[in-house]
Amino acid sequence: MRIAKALLTLSTGLLIASCENRTSVEKATEAGILVIGNSNEPKGLDLHLVSGVLESNIIRALFEGLCVEHPSEDGIALPGAAASWSANDDFTVWTFKLQPEGQWSDGVPVTAHDFVFSYQRMLHPKIPAKYSDMLYFIKGAEDYNKERNPDPNSIGARAIDDHTLEITLRGPTPFLPEITKHYTWYPVPRHIVLEYGKIYSAFTDWTDPGNMESNGPFKLKSWNPTHHIEVERNLHYWDAKTVSLNGIRYLPISNTYTESRMFLDDQIHMTYTLPPEMIPYAQEHMPEMLRQEPYVGVRFMRVNTLNKALDDPRVRHALAAAINQSALIDGVLRGGQLPAHGITPPFGDYVTPNAVNFDPEKARKLLADAGYPGGKGFPEFKFLTTDRDAGRRNAEAFQAMWKEHLGINIRIEQREWTTYLQRQYDADYDICAGGWIGDYLDPTTFLEMWIKDGGNNNTAWSSKEYEAKLREAENTADAKRRLEILAEAETILVTDLPVIPVYWYTTNYLLRPEVEGWEPLLLNNHPFKFVRLKKN
Amino acid sequence: MSSALPANLEKGTSLWKDARHRLFQNKLAVLGLLVIIFIFSACFIGGPIMHKMGIDPNKQDLSNQFSGPSSGHLLGTDQLGRDLLIRILDGGQISLLIAVLATCLTVSIGIVYGGIAGYVGGRLGNTMMRIVDGLLAMPFIIIVILFRELISARVEIAGLYLTDHWDWNRDLVIRFSNILPLLIAIAAFGWLTMSRIVRTSAASLAQQEFVEAARSLGLSHRRILFRHMLPNMLGPIIIYATLTIPSFILYEATLSFIGLGIEPPNSSWGTLIKEGANFLETKPAMIYYPSLVFSMTLFAFNFLGDGLRDALDPKAAKD
Repeated sequence: MRIAKALLTLSTGLLIASCENRTSVEKATEAGILVIGNSNEPKGLDLHLVSGVLESNIIRALFEGLCVEHPSEDGIALPGAAASWSANDDFTVWTFKLQPEGQWSDGVPVTAHDFVFSYQRMLHPKIPAKYSDMLYFIKGAEDYNKERNPDPNSIGARAIDDHTLEITLRGPTPFLPEITKHYTWYPVPRHIVLEYGKIYSAFTDWTDPGNMESNGPFKLKSWNPTHHIEVERNLHYWDAKTVSLNGIRYLPISNTYTESRMFLDDQIHMTYTLPPEMIPYAQEHMPEMLRQEPYVGVRFMRVNTLNKALDDPRVRHALAAAINQSALIDGVLRGGQLPAHGITPPFGDYVTPNAVNFDPEKARKLLADAGYPGGKGFPEFKFLTTDRDAGRRNAEAFQAMWKEHLGINIRIEQREWTTYLQRQYDADYDICAGGWIGDYLDPTTFLEMWIKDGGNNNTAWSSKEYEAKLREAENTADAKRRLEILAEAETILVTDLPVIPVYWYTTNYLLRPEVEGWEPLLLNNHPFKFVRLKKN
Repeated sequence: MSSALPANLEKGTSLWKDARHRLFQNKLAVLGLLVIIFIFSACFIGGPIMHKMGIDPNKQDLSNQFSGPSSGHLLGTDQLGRDLLIRILDGGQISLLIAVLATCLTVSIGIVYGGIAGYVGGRLGNTMMRIVDGLLAMPFIIIVILFRELISARVEIAGLYLTDHWDWNRDLVIRFSNILPLLIAIAAFGWLTMSRIVRTSAASLAQQEFVEAARSLGLSHRRILFRHMLPNMLGPIIIYATLTIPSFILYEATLSFIGLGIEPPNSSWGTLIKEGANFLETKPAMIYYPSLVFSMTLFAFNFLGDGLRDALDPKAAKD
């Protein structure tokens, strides 16, 4: 009796011990749940209202566009919500055949009407969509969005029948399938959105867990603010057999050091990014988990041209030339980033104009020409950045460089992410840190945003000449000539310099080896449906 | 005819003399005192001397980060290649200044408020202490954060006025105007416990004969309270004040740690520790040095406070 009791105690003890030995990431792997760091609390999950990368990471799991990203090759469009597509000869009219089996997560079929509804909603003048210019490719979209034409049916998106969508474009766009991978082109569930509000109602309850239905490989399971967002397998997804993961858990960890610590402590499968000092450490201690990949994105500063002193292009060029980009990259960032001489990062055949280079002599001269020799009389301005430590550190570096080379003083304002975004939207800043990640592999993704009243312009700068160049490029069928015209447009932009480019991104992050199907992609929009977790 | 007093008669002794004697017997307290003197002089004398020597706490050198100790940088450099030692000393100025000023303010408010409550007693005294109870029930840190948000914009405007119209040194104004909201916020809610301590002493002193005597002589209430009663309450007040300083240093660090402290690029001990915590695995020196100085200061103040308590109030048994 005694022995039996002892054995029982022992075995329970062992059982507990063996459970305790498994780390939380192992438990998650066992359950088929991918746990990833996602930087911050999303501004929302309504794909028409957000513009951040961290939001897109969640939306990409929940929803699916007409075409989806290939798991390992850039520039290949796989069938998504559309089973097949075709274009007319000059690529201005496209016809998408939707998946016959396509369903929302509540079993309601996904139809072409959902897509038309989505595009009309995103372009509705009353909805505060920051990203509606992504749809300006569609004929009539801009006119409707800017209230020049009140008829939503004038937009060139039409449902021919339930499963055939016809899109008429304003110019020849051979790369339209690439664009439809972007979340601004995803459908929203018409029947759910209208249940919780009008077509133009923003921030209604339709995105709450339990209310939201989605057409992607996953559906929203729970949202516990500042703790996690979890998505689970969508059983109604047309390609459910390809999906391997049972769910994804997104953790909003804004402190990158905390995030790395959690990774080292076996709590997450993947980090969102990696703080600079951890890069050499990871290279030495866990090279198999460190991922360093090219990333089509640019880090810049928006300059508010409503500020009198900053409205002078000479001042902006002086500020730009006083930034020692290489020292910043080698000394502070350490992730193999490239000094940005223009806005559009290098990819494909596009040649970015060379406008910004570190040159303190020139910077001082420009500032003197603008009437502030040696920085005398230059009003103190504020530099708005996020509350992350990396943001603070970069800001301190700029602050010191401007003081050293130009003799001007700035003050640093750190704000929490959503406030920081809102202050940009409201143009309530002097200079503000910013960045842009390409939405598709074409220079226009970096250039279209600076048009007048563009939802992501936020600088108060605009130029008719610039926009004319963009329109000219749009109607140019010859690919080489088109890129040349785009470069001319960018030259106009960087001559005025309402945004000061600082560096071109690379991504540095940690990834556990059991995560498979996660290959380097230039836009980093990894399709979650192909991701697998290798179980031991 | 009076005979001369014998020459060898013992000199009278006072409470303070006795206390000093007892304090200097206490080795830990003396050590604490020495450490405090050392740290104060390092921050407020050593810091400015280093400034004069041309060592700038905000001078960056992006090619020389995380360097180890060297003759140029005694404690090495931080993540932006700035000298760590001068940043610790400058940070100490901020942290200590907040702690000392906040303690002075809270002690003054506490003495007046608690003294009146204890001396007057009755319904008024009770009401005053219930207000204190009510305020004490609120979470201190949250109140301080809200209060700080409320006044920081005004302080900024006042600071701009000083630099623009009176030509004050901009860097200094920004650096020290930063601590003002924090200071006011801490002081505004930090006097509560002090007022309780003072009230207790005042209430018991008010019953004693010498106060009765003073009252029957027709002295004013103010004179009785501050000239006759206050000297008899100084013991507990000094003890508590010494123990308050480290807790205020800690509050400053806590607020800085959650990002509500001093504005970059300036440093305080809290911000240094916050930044250092990021490099815990990779560059531990970044957190070791600031936290070493920080905890040394806290220990020293606590030792001194304990010593003072033993010295001034020998009846209070050591716990």
